[in-house]
Amino acid sequence: MEDVIHLTIDGKELAVNSGQTILDVAQANGINIPTLCHLEGSDKDAARPCLLCMVEVEGDGRQRACKAEVRDGMVVVTKNKELEAYRKERLQALAKTHYGDCRAPCNLTCPGGINVQGYVNLVAQGEYEAALRLIKEKNPLPVSVGRVCPRFCETRCRRVLVDEPIAINHLKRFVADYCHEHGFRDSLPSVFSGKKVAVIGGGPAGLSCAYYSRKFGHDVTIFEAEDRLGGALRHWIPAYKLPKKPLEKEIQGILNLGVHVHTKKRWGDDFTLESLKSQGFEAVFIATGLSRQKTLEIEGAEYAVDGLHFLKDVNEGRANLNVKPGKAAKALVIGGGDIAVDAARSAKRLGAASVTVIYPRSRVEMSAQQRDIVEAEKEGVQFLLMAMPLRIVKEEEGCKVEMARTILSEPDEKGIRQPVAMPGSRLFWNGHVIISALGQEGDDAFRSYGQIEASIALTSKKTIKSNPSTMATNMPGIFAGGDAASGSRSVIQAVSSGRRAAEAIEEFLKSEKIFEAEARFNFSKGKRFDDVDVHNFDGYSIQLSGLMPVRPADRRNRDFDEVELGFSEEMARREAERCLKCGCGGLSKCTYRELSVEYKVDAGVSPERLKYPIDKSHPFIVVDPNKCIGCARCERSCRYDAFELHIETEPSDHSISDVSIKLNKRCVSCGACVDACPTGALSKRSLAVPCFPKEVKTVSSVCTYCATGCSLDLVVSNGSLQEVRAKKENAPNYGELCVKGRFGYTFYRHTERLSLPLVRDSIDEPFREVIWDEAIRLVATKFGAIKAAFGPDAIGVLSSSRCTNEENYLIQKFARGVIGTNSVDNCARV
Amino acid sequence: MICGSNTTEAHPIVGLKVKEAARRGAKLIVIDPRGTDVARLAEATGGMWIRLRPGTNILLLNAMLNVIFSEGLDAKAFIEERTENVDAIREHVADYPPEKVADAIGIPAERIREAARQYAQAENALILYGLGVVEHKGGTAGVMALANLCLATGHVGRPFNGINPLRGQNNVQGACDMGTLPYNLPGYLFTDDAVSRDKVAKAWGVASLPAKGGLLEPQMYDGAVEGGVKAMYIVGYDPAHTQSNISTVQNALKHLDFLVVQDIFLTETGRCAHVVLPAASFYEKDGTFTSGERRIRRVTKAIEPKGHAKADWEIVCMLSQAMGYPMLYTHPSMIMDEIARVAPPFGGVSYDRLGSDGLVWPCPTPDHPGTPLMHTERFPRGKARFMPVSHILSEEDADREYPLVLITGRRLEHYNNGSMTRRCEKFDEIAPCELVEINPEDARRFGVKDGEFVQVESRRGRLKVIAKVTEKSRTGSVFMAFHHENALVNQLTSPGMDYKTLTPEYKVCAVRVSAL
Repeated sequence: MEDVIHLTIDGKELAVNSGQTILDVAQANGINIPTLCHLEGSDKDAARPCLLCMVEVEGDGRQRACKAEVRDGMVVVTKNKELEAYRKERLQALAKTHYGDCRAPCNLTCPGGINVQGYVNLVAQGEYEAALRLIKEKNPLPVSVGRVCPRFCETRCRRVLVDEPIAINHLKRFVADYCHEHGFRDSLPSVFSGKKVAVIGGGPAGLSCAYYSRKFGHDVTIFEAEDRLGGALRHWIPAYKLPKKPLEKEIQGILNLGVHVHTKKRWGDDFTLESLKSQGFEAVFIATGLSRQKTLEIEGAEYAVDGLHFLKDVNEGRANLNVKPGKAAKALVIGGGDIAVDAARSAKRLGAASVTVIYPRSRVEMSAQQRDIVEAEKEGVQFLLMAMPLRIVKEEEGCKVEMARTILSEPDEKGIRQPVAMPGSRLFWNGHVIISALGQEGDDAFRSYGQIEASIALTSKKTIKSNPSTMATNMPGIFAGGDAASGSRSVIQAVSSGRRAAEAIEEFLKSEKIFEAEARFNFSKGKRFDDVDVHNFDGYSIQLSGLMPVRPADRRNRDFDEVELGFSEEMARREAERCLKCGCGGLSKCTYRELSVEYKVDAGVSPERLKYPIDKSHPFIVVDPNKCIGCARCERSCRYDAFELHIETEPSDHSISDVSIKLNKRCVSCGACVDACPTGALSKRSLAVPCFPKEVKTVSSVCTYCATGCSLDLVVSNGSLQEVRAKKENAPNYGELCVKGRFGYTFYRHTERLSLPLVRDSIDEPFREVIWDEAIRLVATKFGAIKAAFGPDAIGVLSSSRCTNEENYLIQKFARGVIGTNSVDNCARV
Repeated sequence: MICGSNTTEAHPIVGLKVKEAARRGAKLIVIDPRGTDVARLAEATGGMWIRLRPGTNILLLNAMLNVIFSEGLDAKAFIEERTENVDAIREHVADYPPEKVADAIGIPAERIREAARQYAQAENALILYGLGVVEHKGGTAGVMALANLCLATGHVGRPFNGINPLRGQNNVQGACDMGTLPYNLPGYLFTDDAVSRDKVAKAWGVASLPAKGGLLEPQMYDGAVEGGVKAMYIVGYDPAHTQSNISTVQNALKHLDFLVVQDIFLTETGRCAHVVLPAASFYEKDGTFTSGERRIRRVTKAIEPKGHAKADWEIVCMLSQAMGYPMLYTHPSMIMDEIARVAPPFGGVSYDRLGSDGLVWPCPTPDHPGTPLMHTERFPRGKARFMPVSHILSEEDADREYPLVLITGRRLEHYNNGSMTRRCEKFDEIAPCELVEINPEDARRFGVKDGEFVQVESRRGRLKVIAKVTEKSRTGSVFMAFHHENALVNQLTSPGMDYKTLTPEYKVCAVRVSAL
């Protein structure tokens, strides 16, 4: 009997049909009661209920909302301090045995916040375009970053505990290059917002901010002091690392979204923040970079060339190291950063007779990328370490540099031991060109440009003070990022700051909170490699990382052509397949994580060691009992008696003391269990992109296999199909699917998919690929000729169930209306 | 009553519902030579499994009807009010007493009587039938025999009753609804009806539609060999793999001057083509499918077509355009609007009405809610007519030379020609190759061992496959699916066809199995 009854939940008066549980009523009325074990549509109760849905019912005390039926006059409280404390305690007890990584170390380490595991695995699946789109969610300059990134991610890659880290950055470069070669087109910007955004500086940070701001629909203008965009990527990074053609193409791709550019417009000379404001720019992003280097403070410093100027000349093709025609110069580079090493390698390429880098500390303390130091040495650059210049003396032809070996001083007030000249040490270098590359520093010259400029707060290092997550300066509507704010950092960090600024500008312009910061909550198998239980890698056999093909050192050091040649498709896929998939495959369905964040569970209590082996024997489902929370939704969702679940709990705190999960031979791989599991204890092998539940995008469709017509939810990530689910509420399958429906979708990306029309004159010949126009013209001509010669009934048409109704309709219309025959049939006989 | 359907494998979600119903106490009668899951379930839950000899459906169904009439189990009021020709059918099935046909069917007469009683006496009785009924020389007759049972007992026109054909392919219902049949225009208007032709011609803006009857698919192959058919355009269909007795089909295709195949992969049929046009998969296009319950549902584009592939509708539009007839649709919803104008049962169908549950046709007007339950008050022709049908012998039966009957069908893991499922990750592990299922007794008799390669040979061809010795196969019959390209089972299957629809007799052909 269903009568309408009245009750109150959290002060909200509701009139509902009787016969429902409190949980049903709350969910239907937008009141969120947490639960882990409740399985919608199942009449089987959990053997060990999660008890998270406990609510206070006036007069009846605590009740399970999923069990207690609503009554007339009932007063229910779903949230109060006691309930919250109780729930937290329950959740916290589960954390004691929950062992895994929510997000992969590579994802967490990337300053750009790129879903590294996601794109690596998309590459493994051959979904290059989807991989690039995923990267571009966070980084619009993958062609460039894929060549110059210091690769923070790779330093945290756990594959090193098996053999070697994944060559992640090479994969990024591969997908970027591959897609650009294959006519990649970026998604279109949102509708025009009516807002104008100015970006000062067209380097990586500025380009990134312009890209995302344009994507949000704003009218974006980049003001660039130089004659071309690119900043450090164009002027300082040499072409042998980043050739200018792909860079230009990448920049053009951003501009093609409809970004305006004013080059040769120098801040202070041509415009000020005030003038931008008066032109209607509601937000400004300052990304002018750092073009000033630390000064060389020794006698004769005026005879040294500035490293940044030198690299710019190199990139402009203006640099010349010949002392006189036919006589090559000897070069000395002072410094240990990327600029120094790039200057040295460039000098070598310009034909320098010898190139020496002098640095006052040891090799590992050099801030340049260590792999670049190795490559420089191969190319013939020499490194004089633990030495410092004291004096430069101009000589008749060239210079003499007086130097000393260094030792480390006693720790200074910050505890740093500075290099100082070893008493009595004297060394000499004789040569022609001295390049100073001591590193960039802040520059507050802009403060004199105008009133707003003068009010912008600076850091102690004379960089612009901006909020690290929003890039906002102290002045409203003025944002700053890239090196101008952070000091000298990597390209990916600049790109990341540009994106953050664009998001903050979007929120500023719309005056609303749009971008939720990702919760820092994370279960982890160990932050340091030493903490990670090596049994996690049992069963992996060694497969070393693919080596990047490079040009031989003795050839490449004579020109500025690219050193690294890039992975082939085969190498890229093989490399990507090495990924250990540390990040949880159940992330997008993990209710446990969501609740743990909400109830501020301490993930730090999770175990340090793997307790149960991870079972990968099932063709579609990875079983990891280390993540089981004992809800038994899997077992209860199984309609085939295929699930053997055994759970023991600790009576004192209800934590899990023992788990065994087995899918027996009755399993038909319908996958109901894996979609029922609220953690990553069961996860889908084929899922490439781990993401948060709110990031899941689904498209409702209908299954293409048998004629039952099951409802499907296609989970899509950047144009790739990630998984197939089914909703409990949709007929006729009400959440159930068979193995084909749930797992039989990957054919769409099979390498044998036909792409272009195939034609041949006779069936004894091989096919050749042609463009559509040619194929259609050929078919139309042939059909026309046969119809003319033999009549319309000489042509038979067969359609099929794989075609939609609309297509079947058009096919018979084509047969009858265009060809003129009733000889049209379909595949119904099979 | 489930007749000729391996429901849990071929229609797994329907199979689940059957299992649930059985658990709730519904009684199952399963008619199948094979020991399918539903057959075992029927036995385990107090129902009946009628393990008849392959090719004897009509004998059995007529015998059941005989029992219904002779034991007075017929629904007399229903018959009187809603049917005609009852005297003829009563007279006809009088020739089929269970005792007379029991031996031929291979089932004791008393069990046939029991099945007839259970079906007739149930308050509600639903018939599910599959390709095990239709893929016989007497396929059409078999369906009529089921319909006769239904009419005689009044198990129709009410919820939980009627006959549900479990159709083999996702949109085979829709393909027929849309008029890809030589004798039907969209919405089952007839091509031999001038009024309908004129109406459709007008809607399409063409002078007239062809009045001459068209060829059924198998007739096209005959035409190709004889020379009347010079070209074919085959969309999303792989007859060179899935038609029975495919060597004749392949031969026919090779006779064509020009063959165009449109598909997502290069299929067996594509290998016989002059032009292959790359099509989009169903994840990559918009449209509608109509399920076996006539429910029209939206297929939604989730991703872009791979490479340069295009949706079938776009390709047909381009082709039509190139042949001088513009088809200027920019979205499939425009095509559906045209369908609604042309085909009366779809008059009320439009995309904005297709919510998550779709619409069940007939839905003639925009305010019509659709028709999930048909035949409640009257049948389309008024009264339903009993159709006496006789047993039709299969093209072949087991004999001394070819002592086993081969039944072909489907496996859970694969779909049709397997061009999609074989290319799904891990499916090559769970169902990697073709198997021949053989009863242990037959295995002993022919020296076949489980898991070893054997040769299966019919009068038309031979294959090497792995044997699976199982009680699932009835003595005297073996089973194979047809999903794998490296063992084209339809090289073996029968040239026999249903007399009316020309549906091949996939379910019966004579073979011999020998150890290698």
